[in-house]
Amino acid sequence: MSHTAPRRAWLRGLAFAAAAAAFGTAAPAAAQQTLKFGLAMPLTGSQSSYGKDQVKAAEWAVADINAKGGVNGKKLEMILLDTQADPTVGISAVNRLINVDKVPVFVTAWSAVVKAVAPIANREKVLELSIGANAPEISKLGDYVYTAFPLADVDVTAVADYTFKTLGKKRVAIMYINNDTGVEAARLYRTVFEKAGGQIVAFEAYDPKATDYTGALLKVRAANPEMIHLHGLVADMPLVIAQMRQLGIGQRVTTYAAGYNPQMVEKAGKGAEGLIVTSLAPNEKQNPNVGPYLERWKKAENRIPNGLPYTQYLHDAPYLVAALYSHLEKNKLPASGENMRKALLAVRTFDLPLTGKLTFNEDHTVRKPVNLVTVDNGQFVPLATVE
Amino acid sequence: MLESQILLQIAWTSVSTATYYVLFAIAFALTLKVAQLWNFAQAGIMGLAFYAMYAAMLGWNWPHPAGVAFGLAVAVAASVCIEVWGFRVLRGRRSSSLMIFIFAIVFAEFIAYLLTLVFGTEPQTLTRSIMSEVHLVGGIAISDWDLKALTTTAILCLALFAYLSFTQQGQFLYAVADNGELAELYGISANRAYLVSLVIAAVFVSFGIYLYGTRASMIPTAPLELMLFAVIATILGGIGSILGAGLAAIFLSVLQSASILVIPSQWQGSLTYFVLFVVILFFPTGLRLPAWIRRVARAG
Amino acid sequence: MEYVYSVLVMIGIYTIMASSFNLIIGFGGLISIAHPIFFALSAYASALVNLHWGVPIPLAILLGTLFAAAMSVMLSLPSLRISGDYLLIASMGFQLGFVEVIKNVDFAGGAGGLTGIASIYSGPSRSPAFVVTTLTIAATVVSVVHWLTHGEYGRAIRAMRDDEECFASLGRNPMAIKITIFAVGSALAGLAGALYAHYFQFLSPEQFGITQSALILTMVVVGGMGSTWGPVVGALLLTALPQAITFLNLPPSVMAPLQGMLYTGLVLLFLFVRPAGLVAKRLGQ
Repeated sequence: MSHTAPRRAWLRGLAFAAAAAAFGTAAPAAAQQTLKFGLAMPLTGSQSSYGKDQVKAAEWAVADINAKGGVNGKKLEMILLDTQADPTVGISAVNRLINVDKVPVFVTAWSAVVKAVAPIANREKVLELSIGANAPEISKLGDYVYTAFPLADVDVTAVADYTFKTLGKKRVAIMYINNDTGVEAARLYRTVFEKAGGQIVAFEAYDPKATDYTGALLKVRAANPEMIHLHGLVADMPLVIAQMRQLGIGQRVTTYAAGYNPQMVEKAGKGAEGLIVTSLAPNEKQNPNVGPYLERWKKAENRIPNGLPYTQYLHDAPYLVAALYSHLEKNKLPASGENMRKALLAVRTFDLPLTGKLTFNEDHTVRKPVNLVTVDNGQFVPLATVE
Repeated sequence: MLESQILLQIAWTSVSTATYYVLFAIAFALTLKVAQLWNFAQAGIMGLAFYAMYAAMLGWNWPHPAGVAFGLAVAVAASVCIEVWGFRVLRGRRSSSLMIFIFAIVFAEFIAYLLTLVFGTEPQTLTRSIMSEVHLVGGIAISDWDLKALTTTAILCLALFAYLSFTQQGQFLYAVADNGELAELYGISANRAYLVSLVIAAVFVSFGIYLYGTRASMIPTAPLELMLFAVIATILGGIGSILGAGLAAIFLSVLQSASILVIPSQWQGSLTYFVLFVVILFFPTGLRLPAWIRRVARAG
Repeated sequence: MEYVYSVLVMIGIYTIMASSFNLIIGFGGLISIAHPIFFALSAYASALVNLHWGVPIPLAILLGTLFAAAMSVMLSLPSLRISGDYLLIASMGFQLGFVEVIKNVDFAGGAGGLTGIASIYSGPSRSPAFVVTTLTIAATVVSVVHWLTHGEYGRAIRAMRDDEECFASLGRNPMAIKITIFAVGSALAGLAGALYAHYFQFLSPEQFGITQSALILTMVVVGGMGSTWGPVVGALLLTALPQAITFLNLPPSVMAPLQGMLYTGLVLLFLFVRPAGLVAKRLGQ
């Protein structure tokens, strides 16, 4: 025992030192007066290509706001943490934002994270703004959880109605990815379409890890639909479309906002012609600020952002927060989560630079017009707008 | 719905997409048979091969054959390294199979994180577009990719069969698989046999991941999941049977695709695991092939 | 302070997980990677019986724990009949199959996850109460594992692990011991799971994949397999260290894979340089 005891003590000491370092290095809050808010996004992991672009848009907005003098002369400070789009990491990040950085409001996205941190927001009475996640459940997550982005029911409903009423198609097949995004959206489409008077002739799921969709596609082909609604992710949708065309299924395809991605056209090639996607943010013709925004992207990164509409919403998030802070300043209310929430409900309608007017409803939802965009000759061109 | 054309189409596409699974399964079964090693490190080799090819073909714009050769070289080199500095060291220390297993799987995960660091996690394919030419033969869509995949797999399998049955080194692999210590007494180097089996496995997985990468999107954590299929096929085909593993891979792929005709599509993904449970509970030594096939395929 | 509390609760939960995993893999010599699944099974079971049938939470936690134990027997009994190696594959299939099944089952929240799980405590002193409860339970678990492995039963386990044939020839039943250890270990994992469910109030199937197994494996291997304190050290280190790293303000695209490489790199290092782990077994253990 004699020679092992000091070594074991040393080892235990090392372990406790590491733990102490974790707690001790929690930096004391900055002394100067800044208006803080948190941003918890996937900066790494499979969703990071979207997350990073959204964060960049938000960073530009914060810089712009501060360059114009901030809010009442005070600077806006955005505290950024990585969630990896993973619920457990998200919980840690939000805990830190609330307890270490002491933010009264934070912005986050990706349904799994939004749901996982909701209990914390509600318990700690800090305002959680979900921007980009679209699971319909989000509107029911609690008093302190609000979405500033239209939930799935908005754009899926729009595309289903457009297909039936405007395009006049009465028989549609639905193919969807077998995860929470796909399942909920597919069911929603079916409900809306059938209510309008249409008929769903095929309703087929595919496994997220599958690479061969022949069986499901053949069932779709046998049902002879007039159009096909595809609800998947950018990793698999081009494959599905490619195999669809190879099996001789030539019908037009609709999908949702995730399809608004140059990779769809690049990977699926000619198969993507005529694809209809949704966009929940105004385009250049509808909003004069969008053009310069795109120019800024071309100059900075030489491309358009991944998930352009989402980045527009994230760009406007700091403006939304600034408006909330402005309300607090005007009414001389201290910055707390409770007051932030009160401010949101008091102001209720916000005029944001890249996404226009935003109104928060009683039921924690927001409604926006849906733009439909189609692929024409390898390019995305506007098709229609559904209010 | 059960028209012959639909069945034929499903049969054709499921067999052609089974090709990469066959290659992964054979690689896994070979190392299991010769080295008694559940080689999960194979997932790491698969990842390295893919991203090497990706860097060559899409990063440096090399033509495909050169890219594949580069991927092959990387995979073989990595396999040699983990055998010489990993498995051999652990074997020399008489480490328990637990330790060896931990090494293999942690190596695979380490590689996955390394690849994430270098290449990010956006889904990638080896070609810019994944549409390939389609020919209609009797109403069945047959794509160029299908033909390429089937030819490559057939050639590799035949080559392996020839090697194992007709060359001396191939026979040595069997000897070591049967009884390593006894083989050593006859002057056969067990270590050399282990190395050779890992190198052959590296070749198979390189081609397999090339086929996969020209058809589907890949992220650094995908190889571990692809491995599962290979493992299940190996168990189904009978531990120790390389032919069995290959056939089982085809069987599982066809089963999974054809099942959609009978069960709701959302349960398709779970089917493979259901089959695994059934096999573990009732056929732990694998589904036995009829005796005449076993006699013919003494290679298995 | 809340942040510190949640880290402490995680340390407590991971200590239970690592310690119970050590019982199975370090003392029992059973190769399984399905440990997080029993954590998950109990978490879901406890959350659901409370949510849908109004079972009071302490009872729900007990039910979850027992459920985990029962499921573990369902896994170990057929697999161990074949061989120890088989348990590995079966446990892997079990893990992935479970995730698939949960994703398709709506009343468990489906792939989107189960929200609105009740919390054991509420009110302003919720977190400190949780910290005290979790750490007390963790300490109890470590003591129980220590007692199990150092008494008479412990000697029997070691005898079985060191030479199974000899053990069997003495009239003892190795299968019974293996299944019991597996069940006890899994039940403890279930306990951790139920606590987790009622603290974080949210469960989603993606939280219980192979990455979790790798994390717990790392804690045990790096901490020291087969020793009582090893897993505790491992759990402490591997929960606190990543949190400490995030305060270093490294660029995020580097941080997450770097953390992963840290875990796995540590395991590889220890495997070759110090297989006994940080806290080595005492001689004769």
